[in-house]
Amino acid sequence: MDVRKIIESLTGTFPEAISEAMVESEIRARAYVDKEKAREVCQYLKDSLQFDHLCSVCGVDYIKRNELEVVYHIASYDHPVVLTLKAALPRDNPEIESVVSVYWNANWYERETYELFGILFKNHPNLKPLVLPDDMLGEWPLRKDYKGFPNTTAKNLV
Amino acid sequence: MEEKLEPNEMIIHLGPQHPMQPGPFRLNLRLRGETVLGAEIELGFIHKGIEKILENKTYLQGITIVDRICYLVALVNEECFVGCTEKLLGIEPPARAKYIRVILEELTRIQSHLLGIGEFGEFIGFVSMFMYTIREREEILSLIDMVTGARVTHSYLKFGGVRDDLPAGFKEKAIPTLNKLKKAVDDFDQMFHTDRIYRERTVGVGVLTADVAKSLGVSGPVLRATGVPFDIRKNEPYLVYEDLDFKVCTETAGDCFARVQVRLNEIRESIYILEQCLDQIPNGPLFPENTPYGRRTPVMRVPAGEVFHRVEDPRGEMGMYMISDGSDKPYRLKVRGPYYPTLQALPPLIIGTTVADVAAISGSMDGCTSEADR
Repeated sequence: MDVRKIIESLTGTFPEAISEAMVESEIRARAYVDKEKAREVCQYLKDSLQFDHLCSVCGVDYIKRNELEVVYHIASYDHPVVLTLKAALPRDNPEIESVVSVYWNANWYERETYELFGILFKNHPNLKPLVLPDDMLGEWPLRKDYKGFPNTTAKNLV
Repeated sequence: MEEKLEPNEMIIHLGPQHPMQPGPFRLNLRLRGETVLGAEIELGFIHKGIEKILENKTYLQGITIVDRICYLVALVNEECFVGCTEKLLGIEPPARAKYIRVILEELTRIQSHLLGIGEFGEFIGFVSMFMYTIREREEILSLIDMVTGARVTHSYLKFGGVRDDLPAGFKEKAIPTLNKLKKAVDDFDQMFHTDRIYRERTVGVGVLTADVAKSLGVSGPVLRATGVPFDIRKNEPYLVYEDLDFKVCTETAGDCFARVQVRLNEIRESIYILEQCLDQIPNGPLFPENTPYGRRTPVMRVPAGEVFHRVEDPRGEMGMYMISDGSDKPYRLKVRGPYYPTLQALPPLIIGTTVADVAAISGSMDGCTSEADR
C-alpha cells in the first residue's frame, strides 16, 4: 500500500482532526491528531487501511512548549508502512481516550505511559502502575522536571 | 484478583522467583482444581529505567546501556540503537561492516534460539535438553567472543561501522562449528518428532490461531508458528538482508510444538545466511569514508529529528523511537521490545488450561523478562 495514498485517505476522511501530515520516506509517515479524535482515527486505520498492528504507545515531555505528547506507532502485518500518530496534550491536565477497545495490546503501553508521564487514559479497563511500585505513583519519573533521578529512584531497593 | 473466591477455588502465585520462569515476574493464577480460571501478571521486579538512563547519557555511552536491555540479544539491541542514530546522522556503514553485523546478529539469533529451546525443555521436565543445547551454544558464543572480545555484553557496534575487523582464521573456525551445529539441530529435530512424552506435552497445547495472534499484537516465532510470514528482515530489509537468500520459517499449528519447530528451522536458515555471508563478504573499510565517524569518534552531536527504526530480534519485532534535539544526548528514546506484547498475551492464552501446561506455554514463548521490564 502506497504511503501517499494512506496519508491522502486519512486527511480526506478526517480533515479537521489530522494536521501536519507528512511523508518521511516510502515506509514512514507521521501526523498530528486531535486528542478528542485519536480513538476514532485508530478505528478507521484498523478497519480501512490494514493498520492492524500497534507497535507501541509512548509519551514524550516537551517541557519548553508546556505540552505532553502521546505517540502511537501503528504498523501492519501486511505492508511495511509505520504511521506515527501524535496527540498533543496540555501539561497540567493530560487526558486522552484509551485505544484499548481498538488495539488490545495498547493495555500495557498505556498503563506504562500513565505511570511514567501521568497521562490519564479515559475508559482504560485497568489503569494502575505496571513496572513502578505503587508508592512512586504521582512522581512521573520520565517527565523532564523530575528531580529524583538518579538519587532517589533506587530507594525501594534499600 | 480482588473478587471474592468461590468455594473450592484458590489463588496461587507463580513467581517472582520460580524455576519455570525466564526472569522475575509474578503470575497470579485463580484455580478451580487444576483448571486456570483467571491469570494476571505483575511486572517491575527488574525495572532498570533504561529509557531514563539513556536520556542522561551521550550517544556513545548509550551503546553500552542498550546492551543491558536483554543480555541474550545484546548485538540486536545495539543494531537497533545504532541504526536509529545512523538514520539521524544520515550515514550508512560500508559493505564490509554491514556483512560483519549480519554475521554477528545471526550468531546471536542462533545462540538465543538454542537457549530458548533448552529452557523450554527444562520447563516441561526434559532437563537433558538444556545440557544438549547449552553445549552447542557455547561454541557459538566462542565465535562471537573471538570477534567482540566478550560473551554477553559486547559494545561492539559503532556509529557507521563496527569496532574491529573479523580476526584472522574466523572463517576457518566458523565453518566446522556451523557444520557441527547442523548435525545437532537435525538430532534435536528427530528427538522432538519421535519422543512420545515430549509430543504429548506440546502438541495441541497453547494453540494460537493467526487472527487471535494478530489481535494480541505478538510477533516473532510465536506469530510465525501460526502461519503469518511476518519478519522485519523481509518486510523492511535493513543491512544487507535484501541481497541474501533466506526464507521466513512458518508453521501452521500455532501450538508449543510449532513454536519450537519454527526456532529450529530458523537456526537452519541462520546457518545458511552465515554461509552466504562468509563467502560473499567484501574487503574494504569498516567506517564510511570522508566522514568524521570512526573507531574513536569523540563526543558528537546528532541533528535534531526523530526516527522509528525496527529490526528483527530473535523474539520478534524490536523497535526504537529516538527523538534528538540537536544535543549530544537523546531527548527521548522509547524501546519497543518484542517480549513485552508476547508476555501481555500470556494470560488470555493460559485461561482454561491446567497448571501443568502453564509452564509449557510460558516456556514456549521464549521469554526475557529483563527486556519486558527494561
